[in-house]
Amino acid sequence: MEAGEEPLLLAELKPGRPHQFDWKSSCETWSVAFSPDGSWFAWSQGHCVVKLVPWPLEEQFIPKGFEAKSRSSKNDSKGRGSLKEKTLDCGQIVWGLAFSPWPSPPSRKLWARHHSQVPDVSCLILATGLNDGQIKIWEVQTGLLLLNLSGHQDVVRDLSFTPSGSLILVSASRDKTLRIWDLNKHGKQIQVLSGHLQWVYCCSISPDCSMLCSAAGEKSVFLWSMRSYTLIRKLEGHQSSVVSCDFSPDSALLVTASYDTSVIMWDPYTGERLRSLHHTQLEPPMDDSDVHMSSLRSVCFSPEGLYLATVADDRLLRIWALELKTPVAFAPMTNGLCCTFFPHGGVIATGTRDGHVQFWTAPRVLSSLKHLCRKALRSFLTTYQVLALPIPKKMKEFLTYRTF
Amino acid sequence: MHVKVISSDGHELILEREHMQIIRNNKAMLSGPGQFAENEIKESNFRELLPHMLRKVCMYFTYKVHYTSDSTDITKFLIAPETALELLMAANFQDCLKEIIASC
Repeated sequence: MEAGEEPLLLAELKPGRPHQFDWKSSCETWSVAFSPDGSWFAWSQGHCVVKLVPWPLEEQFIPKGFEAKSRSSKNDSKGRGSLKEKTLDCGQIVWGLAFSPWPSPPSRKLWARHHSQVPDVSCLILATGLNDGQIKIWEVQTGLLLLNLSGHQDVVRDLSFTPSGSLILVSASRDKTLRIWDLNKHGKQIQVLSGHLQWVYCCSISPDCSMLCSAAGEKSVFLWSMRSYTLIRKLEGHQSSVVSCDFSPDSALLVTASYDTSVIMWDPYTGERLRSLHHTQLEPPMDDSDVHMSSLRSVCFSPEGLYLATVADDRLLRIWALELKTPVAFAPMTNGLCCTFFPHGGVIATGTRDGHVQFWTAPRVLSSLKHLCRKALRSFLTTYQVLALPIPKKMKEFLTYRTF
Repeated sequence: MHVKVISSDGHELILEREHMQIIRNNKAMLSGPGQFAENEIKESNFRELLPHMLRKVCMYFTYKVHYTSDSTDITKFLIAPETALELLMAANFQDCLKEIIASC
């Protein structure tokens, strides 16, 4: 699929078993996630259950003609056991989900000491953030509950593992704090990050593991150091609750999405706003009535760093190219809540209020050599380090993503 | 049909002509106008380019050709940061390499 082609629905998964209608409406898919190696997909399918499915999906789920696109050949040759669907009953509404990077070397023998059924090879961990503030830590291949982390006083809305595989987990909660947990030390809480004034909706760790971003109800976005766990800066600009955030794969850009209908792209090192993406309706009205703008629910970067996907309340999934001001593609989706890209590209997963998840084709693009060079450098250099290089101004602008 | 490219230390790399067609009439690259005669090898000099950089550019051509025809499961193309900076700098100052990289 080229950029500009509409995302096509590849597959839709619905909750497996019928549930009694609960007027409190606990059937939402608040979070979806792929494991970093692309071998598993998890979704909180409502009613306190998390479903884990191996990726690629079994063929019965995929309409004819799309099989090739959703497959990742990397997984076929691995001889891992128990590649079967798992259902994790968490006992309460699940709000946040996060996979650890896999394999995670430090913990290889750690779990086996305490749970004889846990395989004596490295584990893939899934953290689930629950309604009452607990965090349950599961081993994916066996579906075993490993740990219960207590500390938060309210909904754990989002979770994030450090990409380095060090098994440090960050949680974001409606109790206005973020907490840092060390899973190498049986889930010891090593830090509480206070400062937010309202619910914390989202947390994201930069791929180079240096920064933590948190987004909250009081319209602010905080950047914390993952080395000292102290506040680096506050990013002001949104006009309403900020509900989603994501770093680019080279850690050079940060995007945040808000109920104020915009996505802002920031340079996380300098705090500068680089651009705003407004979510307006597709066809403006013929008369003078207001153009409806729509609250954002989720934003994420594509794995090669050239696209963004956004889910908004106006029932559209939008794909944005990095350097353009308007979306390059749209797909209709009702009641969308969350989105994420498949780590190897080509697929976007979305979750909805009725507990369904959908998989969409995403633009498959080959990065230009220039972009690959930029990504390689920015994975390694901060904005200030780039600005200090003895290179021409135009090249600095390119490397710091100021060439819109 | 092949094109031979020569780097600063005389290192020679031979590329298939189809790969070079990505460059689209890049006159700076090819030594002389006109059509290739059958089996002719055209030489092209990048004497300012270090061999590891030229190798990386050629690897990218191969990567691009491969995934242009089959875009499923695109693998990552890795570049070391030092090489990345050298390539961008070289692209900035050498017209021919600039055209190549711009066309990639």
